[in-house]
Amino acid sequence: MGFIPDVLTSFVAIMPVTLAQSLILAFVVLGIMIPFRMLNFPDLTSEGAFPLGGCVCGVLLAAGVSPLTCIVVAFVAGFAAGCCTAFIHLRFRIHTLLAGILMMTMLYSINLRIMGKSNLSVFGSPTVFDWVPFARPGFPASKIVVAGLLALIAFAALYMFFRTEKGTAVRAVGANPDMAEAQGINVWAATIGGVGLASAFSASSGALMVQSQGFADVNMGLGILINGLAALMIGEAVVGKQTVSRQLLAPFAGAIIYYQLVSFCLAAGMPPPDLKLATGLFVLAMLALPSLKRSRGPAPAREAVRE
Amino acid sequence: MLDIRSARKVFYKGQADEKVALDGLSLSLATGEFGIVIGSNGAGKSSMLNAISGALVLDSGKILINGADVTAMPVHKRATRLARVFQDPMRGTAASMTVAENMLLADLRSQKRTLRQGLNATRLASYKERLSILGLGLENRLDTRVDLLSGGQRQSLSLIMAVGGSPDLLLLDEHTAALDPRTAEIVMQATVRAVNALKLTTLMVTHNMQHAVDYGSRVIMLDAGRVLLEVSGEEKARVTVIDLIGHFSIKTDRMLLAS
Repeated sequence: MGFIPDVLTSFVAIMPVTLAQSLILAFVVLGIMIPFRMLNFPDLTSEGAFPLGGCVCGVLLAAGVSPLTCIVVAFVAGFAAGCCTAFIHLRFRIHTLLAGILMMTMLYSINLRIMGKSNLSVFGSPTVFDWVPFARPGFPASKIVVAGLLALIAFAALYMFFRTEKGTAVRAVGANPDMAEAQGINVWAATIGGVGLASAFSASSGALMVQSQGFADVNMGLGILINGLAALMIGEAVVGKQTVSRQLLAPFAGAIIYYQLVSFCLAAGMPPPDLKLATGLFVLAMLALPSLKRSRGPAPAREAVRE
Repeated sequence: MLDIRSARKVFYKGQADEKVALDGLSLSLATGEFGIVIGSNGAGKSSMLNAISGALVLDSGKILINGADVTAMPVHKRATRLARVFQDPMRGTAASMTVAENMLLADLRSQKRTLRQGLNATRLASYKERLSILGLGLENRLDTRVDLLSGGQRQSLSLIMAVGGSPDLLLLDEHTAALDPRTAEIVMQATVRAVNALKLTTLMVTHNMQHAVDYGSRVIMLDAGRVLLEVSGEEKARVTVIDLIGHFSIKTDRMLLAS
């Protein structure tokens, strides 16, 4: 057999596994998109919130708690973490990125404290994926169904929310905080709530991931942020970001495409250690593209950085 | 009604570059009155507006709107009573949102925001009607993102947003200064029409002495953080640009040029 058929065969063979994984990780991408695009609050908390959700879920699963409750508790824990990041930024006027770095560093210790050790196996515990009828537990089909359903619910709920009076106000805070405040909108409440919700999604993703892979690890968040960002960039390039619905669809579409791309690269023989470099270069290229396009012709002396 | 009682604000207190922005400023504006605020740069006009809107916290003194003490109220709570149009058209609108969404935000300024759908047919129809008054064609661009509008269109939109819902107090912060003369005239005419029709209590800061002469029921001149001069009633009707400029203690070249 030739090289190309070989690559394609192994790529197609792991396609369902990758799809299941990408639907679970789409929630992290959502958790990165909401602060970044809706609130103009570039946030790094997800790198800590994702393992936080995982650790919380792992410990609770090991204690025999129902898998759905585990996800709900992880959601709440993530929400609290996001609220802290937003509060640190608002109260002490610390840059959003620095607030996120502080939070994710502190969360590492907290996650270790929660689990008591760096790695916890919950293999054999019941998971939300077991509840899918007609699918053999532990197989990708059940994960695709559950994660896909949750993604659909999250998309619909967020789409409806951002069209309500409250949702419009939250978007205004991201678009122009001064104006939002002058229109009677409580900027603090909207920012804290919005960033909190985003981290809650990241943590839920971690919880789902633990149930899917059968173990929790404090290092499971390593590099999740840059992967998520890459997925978001792809999603926005494919479905766009002009309207609320497109902006909300981008994380899901992006996650699905990005992880298939990664799996293809691996199938094609890219050494796994090079993956982060490739992802980083990709994100850099996507972010640099607009400025490269603009610099054709006489470049303006100074341009406002607005992305 | 607006009542400012001996408002005082000092920047960089105790440092070499200490600056007294408001020096026991007192000012009272009756309901329905249209006050024009003039004064040289650094006289305290912006500080006063910021203190009224809540963006600046006073060191001492009190601010009352319609009899209610708002001195300790944060910006977003005061916004239920007052509306403001900024000098910079970019500041008063949300660029990445549509014209209709901006109108909705202003519409909800003094209401509780619910989880009901924001833009509905009734609201869209009323926004269309309110925007058509301007005659700029904005009523046909409800779904256009605001950053695609010109500065004049954005400022006109800000004005319509501000006067909607008849705020207790309307603050205009040199709102025509960044516009070309023709657009500035359109916005100014729309302002006067709205203020008269709705009998809004209004405070307008301007560097344009002709506007100070032509419009408003009272001219208030600030200097060094306090009220230097007030002209109202009969006297206001007779006052000329030359009279006003005569009161400026600093170089008046810029004021003459501006008028």
